[in-house]
Amino acid sequence: MHTTLLWAAVAFYGLALVLILPSVRRRRPRLSPWSLGALGLGLLLHAATLAITTAQTGRLQPTDVRSALSLFVFTLTAAFFAVYLRYPITSLGIFMLPFVFVLSLISALQPPPSLSAGGLRGGWLLIHIASMMLGYTGLFLTSVGAIMYLIQESELKSKKPRAFYYRLPPLEVCDELYYRSLVFGLVFLSLGILTGVVWASRTWRGPWQLDPKIVASLVTWIIYLILFSTRLSGSGRRRRAAYLAIFGFAAVMVTFLGISFLSSQHGFFPKLGSP
Amino acid sequence: MNLVLAGMNHRTAPVEVRERMHVQESTLVQALKDLMGHDGILEGMIVSTCNRVEVVANADDKDDAATAIRQFLSGYHRCDLREYESYFYWHRQRDAVRHLFRVASSLDSMILGEPQILGQMKRAFLTAQAAGTLNGTLHDVINQALAVGRRVRRETALGTAAVSVPYAAVELAKKIFGNLAGKTIFVIGAGKMSELATKHLLSSGAGAILVTNRTYQKAVQLAHAFRGTAIQFDQIFEYIDQADIIISSTGAPHFIITKNRAERMIAARRNRPIFFVDISVPRDVDPSVNDLDAAFVYDIDDLQGVVEANIKQRQREAAWAEEIVEQEVQRMMRHFASREVVPTIMALEEKLNRIRQGEMERFQGRLTSLTPEQRETVEALTQGIHNKILHGPITELKSGAGSPEHRALVQVIRRIFGVAD
Repeated sequence: MHTTLLWAAVAFYGLALVLILPSVRRRRPRLSPWSLGALGLGLLLHAATLAITTAQTGRLQPTDVRSALSLFVFTLTAAFFAVYLRYPITSLGIFMLPFVFVLSLISALQPPPSLSAGGLRGGWLLIHIASMMLGYTGLFLTSVGAIMYLIQESELKSKKPRAFYYRLPPLEVCDELYYRSLVFGLVFLSLGILTGVVWASRTWRGPWQLDPKIVASLVTWIIYLILFSTRLSGSGRRRRAAYLAIFGFAAVMVTFLGISFLSSQHGFFPKLGSP
Repeated sequence: MNLVLAGMNHRTAPVEVRERMHVQESTLVQALKDLMGHDGILEGMIVSTCNRVEVVANADDKDDAATAIRQFLSGYHRCDLREYESYFYWHRQRDAVRHLFRVASSLDSMILGEPQILGQMKRAFLTAQAAGTLNGTLHDVINQALAVGRRVRRETALGTAAVSVPYAAVELAKKIFGNLAGKTIFVIGAGKMSELATKHLLSSGAGAILVTNRTYQKAVQLAHAFRGTAIQFDQIFEYIDQADIIISSTGAPHFIITKNRAERMIAARRNRPIFFVDISVPRDVDPSVNDLDAAFVYDIDDLQGVVEANIKQRQREAAWAEEIVEQEVQRMMRHFASREVVPTIMALEEKLNRIRQGEMERFQGRLTSLTPEQRETVEALTQGIHNKILHGPITELKSGAGSPEHRALVQVIRRIFGVAD
């Protein structure tokens, strides 16, 4: 049941992606109600999927790649609507929706969880996961702002207006999106790491401090801390910061998904986790 | 419907001729009344701007509106119209509708997509409406033309990209800063172009303005005009760090803003972007400043390049707009055509119904023995025959309405069924 629903949500995400193409081609400043509607329907179906899974397993916490990704895509899509309220621009769809669609597709292609984990419970863990999801979403938006900034900047520097010049928002709007989401992402990433540490120290036995995922998280946290502090002091070059932000998000994705396969304690191999 | 349009525009007629044929707004109502005074004219409208004169009329079917328009123009302007014949274009029916739609969409304008024409056309429409010279088909056409013009503005970017140098500077400033509110402009030196750019920037919401000039008196004058602050020329660098947009046109033989200076400015601004508009020749700003993070330098050629790219952009958008216009023309013509066949369809219905009723009455006497149910069956049967006979002709009438062949078909159907004209 929830598999069918998840596929339906993926289909609507795909449809929303297809429906933004005319807006992009014809330089409409905003997305069409059709694509927003399709995305909204996808989000509702997705919410239903999550609700059913939670009812079946009795917990919200993801225990495998499929459900973790699914929860992330859900947060991203919800964030899209929140951000679109403030920045109703077509470019937001151009850069966010392909990512939403691809991640949702990957998540739906994963085998459904067969194991039921015992140890993954508790309020700290719930806050940890929620913060991480919000943090990752914020940092994704940071990289979207950075990419848009770099493209618009090179259009303006080249002095030859091309396709993106007409379609992307002003440079300062890209920068504003970048900086606001950076602050948002950093706050939740910090909270997520903190609550994770508290939970792990209470639950896990053994030298959990050297868990690859925890180490990688700290590395990404430092990247974003550098971005934030150089911006605050006004010393950071914006172009360089944008590149670092994109790299930072790549590191986030590696931490989120890649390292999970290496980590014995963490993430998506609950049978190995020490209860 | 018998629409005829006569017009001239910037392409077909030089300004002396357009002047000669211009109809002043103050005498427009009188002109419309003159036009209506000619034989067979049912409706009329005149659009007269500095780039075009358009006279459009709807005449009854017997009369030629073109003759009436010719008589009107030569009478109104007291001239021999034959002298001006080569400057006019003439459009009829569908072509006239298309022309009006294109004009309203600013596809026929000298500057593609310029916004004034729609307003000018609306004023002409309102004047004609108030004068009582629009009350039927032509009214619907003009009303629709205004709607098409609005649709093109809404659905295409035809009128958005800047197509003059000062506006290009404003567009770039908006592409960099987004909202110009609270941004400071520093005008170094004076000149027509920099004054225009400053004026447009201010009307787009830019905040404070600083002005300097080698002749301080000039700076004071300009500052006064823009309600800004005049700065002594040798104090430029004390104030320059405040500026977000610098418009420079001093004509100094060397760079005023060197790369070194710009680097210091950027550091002082904590890497917030800065926009140099350098309309000076020789240039005031070292072009390599553009390589610095968050600094954007546009000289006069660069701005011209943006204008050219924008013109191309407008031409691409015009292709979309033409599609919209064509769609709308077809829809309008279909609407008129279907309105034309309605009387025929009603006449057919009426005729067959009369026949059916007549026959029923004729056999009334012989049908008395029928039960009410059987009577109903006979009613239904005859009604069924009526419907089935008419189905074919009505479908034919409705489809392909508007073409000349179709008009012939309407005549044939009318004759076959004996429906009088």
